[in-house]
Amino acid sequence: MKMIRAFIRPEKEQEVVLALEGAGFPSLTKMPVFGRGKQKGLQVGPVRYDELPKTLIMTVVDDEDAEKVIGLIRDKAWTGFIGDGKVFVSPVEAAYTVRTGEAIL
Amino acid sequence: MKEITAIIRRDKVPETKKVLEELGYPSLTLQSVEGRGMQKGDMCVDMDDEMPESFCTAVRLKPTSSTYALEHSLPKVALFVPKRMLTMIVPDDLVTKIVKSLIKVNQTGRHGDGKIFVSPIENAIRIRTGEKNGESIA
Repeated sequence: MKMIRAFIRPEKEQEVVLALEGAGFPSLTKMPVFGRGKQKGLQVGPVRYDELPKTLIMTVVDDEDAEKVIGLIRDKAWTGFIGDGKVFVSPVEAAYTVRTGEAIL
Repeated sequence: MKEITAIIRRDKVPETKKVLEELGYPSLTLQSVEGRGMQKGDMCVDMDDEMPESFCTAVRLKPTSSTYALEHSLPKVALFVPKRMLTMIVPDDLVTKIVKSLIKVNQTGRHGDGKIFVSPIENAIRIRTGEKNGESIA
């Protein structure tokens, strides 16, 4: 299994979530985060914003679905401007459902 | 070392912390998150089933799309349920024990009990002393 953590624009969150749901991946966790990237924030005239609000979407999927999910997120969160965000993928060894206690996703 | 990420109900946090303390692993990170699972954020799935028929019109309220969906020309709105996310780094040999007790404490048998993920961690360093790997989490 793979854990996919996507940092996306907060305004694109609903679109991404609905696209994932449509493709059969309804389960995810989101949290609001603040961060910055290569541009060290954002400069608007004399005002510098050091940290920009982003939404972190975290989801765990099977290995073979990872590419598909990343593709969907890229497709929906893309605007072509700086600050579209990043997607990180990390391994997950086991997943348990608390309700049943079974070791399945 | 392994990282255990548990997404659990908000009201189960004190009990979970108590159990972890009893096991001797009280260190954890707590985050307030919102999430959805196979029920797509619909909190009334179980509730509706348990309501007697006589209550049907009054209580069988399903969350519907809000003005958000209309404003953004979305077909519907994505619903989320507030949850707590616990993250803890534990030694390899304790993973099964901790996961088992987490499941035992958090199980209510209804949808929305949460998920537990176990993933590998390469290194852990304690900032104060610079201890590495196993020593830093002991």
